[in-house]
Amino acid sequence: MWFFRSPQVVFGDEALSYLSSLPIRRAAIITDRYLLGTELPERVRGALPEGAESLVVGDVSAEPPLSEMTAHLEKVRGFSPDWFVAVGGGSSIDTAKILFALHERPDLTVYDITPLVQLGLRTKSRLIAVPTTSGTGSECTWAAVLSEENEKRKHELASPEILPDYAILDPSLVVSLPPEQTRNTAADAIAHAVEAYGSTWHNPFSDAMAEKALELISENIEGVIRDPWGLGPRGQVHIGASMAGLSFSNSQIGLVHALGHSLGATFKLPHGKAVGLLLPYVVDFNYDACPERYDRLNMLIPPKYRGRRLSGSLRSLLGMMGVARTVRDAGVEEPAYASSMDALVTLALESTGMVTNPKDSGSEDLRNIFIKAFDGD
Amino acid sequence: MAGARTARVRPRLSPFMIGVRSDALVKMARFPSEEWTKLYAEKLNANKSYEDAGKNWEGAITFVVQKDSALDKDAFIYLDLYHGKCRDAKFSLTESDLPTPEYKYAGPYGNWRKLINKEIDPIQGLLTGKFKLQGSMMKIMRFTKAAKEMVNTTASVQTES
Ligand SMILES: [Fe+2]
Repeated sequence: MWFFRSPQVVFGDEALSYLSSLPIRRAAIITDRYLLGTELPERVRGALPEGAESLVVGDVSAEPPLSEMTAHLEKVRGFSPDWFVAVGGGSSIDTAKILFALHERPDLTVYDITPLVQLGLRTKSRLIAVPTTSGTGSECTWAAVLSEENEKRKHELASPEILPDYAILDPSLVVSLPPEQTRNTAADAIAHAVEAYGSTWHNPFSDAMAEKALELISENIEGVIRDPWGLGPRGQVHIGASMAGLSFSNSQIGLVHALGHSLGATFKLPHGKAVGLLLPYVVDFNYDACPERYDRLNMLIPPKYRGRRLSGSLRSLLGMMGVARTVRDAGVEEPAYASSMDALVTLALESTGMVTNPKDSGSEDLRNIFIKAFDGD
Repeated sequence: MAGARTARVRPRLSPFMIGVRSDALVKMARFPSEEWTKLYAEKLNANKSYEDAGKNWEGAITFVVQKDSALDKDAFIYLDLYHGKCRDAKFSLTESDLPTPEYKYAGPYGNWRKLINKEIDPIQGLLTGKFKLQGSMMKIMRFTKAAKEMVNTTASVQTES
């Protein structure tokens, strides 16, 4: 027995306007500091049904610690929203998931958000995710990542009940995404599809999502980089990123994310940058555990990037995107890396991605991958 | 006495045991039983992957094997786990005979058999309600690899069918 869980997905031109057809009376709009200074919050407000009131919580930072995520909990509770509308990247959406859960159940702490207990959410409110990046897939997942206070650790929270009710994929909301974030988030999405496909929990539903996601992203990302304002390719990559989110949410991530969370938390690298650079190394490591599956994925990458093996194809594709090829390229200095190696390995070993990776691995394997990834092969 | 402390598996399973036992030189044990618990602890202590993944773990766990149509009494396997090793392993048919563990992992006998045969993934087993876990999720989520190795170890114990 297993499940396929998904929000209702609204996608395509003017998808944001769908908000007006929902029975929203009091919307808590959760967004980040950067977007707060743009016209986007007003656009979202303008798309709400007539007469709806709104509260904007707008100071979510990138990959925020728990204290920031819950800083406005009392304000939100006082406002008593009937809908949460998360507008932004993974950090805003994850923050909204946590505020939603804690608004619904004031007696809980974030650490009570686990898939093993019924939380009984949705007695007061519901949750909409409007992603403005194409990558984290958080709009389609039942997980939320939070950074631990004063610790180089990321905590992975999960409950089917924090899966958004709606994911609204409007390509006009991603055209202004800066190049750096475009490439990092797309690399994250590619990693999601590849990891979901190799996961020991893979299933026909997650496979279908992963295959189509990789196809959509790898066929369109070059067009996005060439013409960021082109709605066509942006829309396809946006859909692909959500499909990649659905793929790993319904199977699991693996070693790329186990290592990537550790590397990102230790050296403050953006998540997509960390997983993007590690992906080909992990694919090389995993290859003999699932050659047929990786070969099948390889055939979905456009011929101009396709090599004999999936790892080579990914290197070409990620290279075209401008993703760092090595940890050194990503700006990490060798002495700091070497002195952090034990901690990097221990942190990675504690990730849930360890158990669903297609190939079993231990400390030495993780250390070897980290070492290889520093300067490349 | 060991036999008296073994939960009785209903006879319909017994034909599978004949032949497997007669020529086997390896130690075999019925699940769940005191013998099985002892063999399991030996195997776990010999499992380098478990030692690696559980090197920072401190805390005892009890496997609760709940009675079902093929097992007539609940059985309890208590494992005191510390820094990648099993310091103590006890079996009982009476839970109150055992120390209080930090965690309990419980499921019906039939699901345990599937787990041992690798037909159920231990974490998917929890997520689909085939097993229940008691104890702090926050701590155990950092040791899912160790948990997987604990389950992999069950498969290395020669268990009577
Ligand atoms: Fe990711």
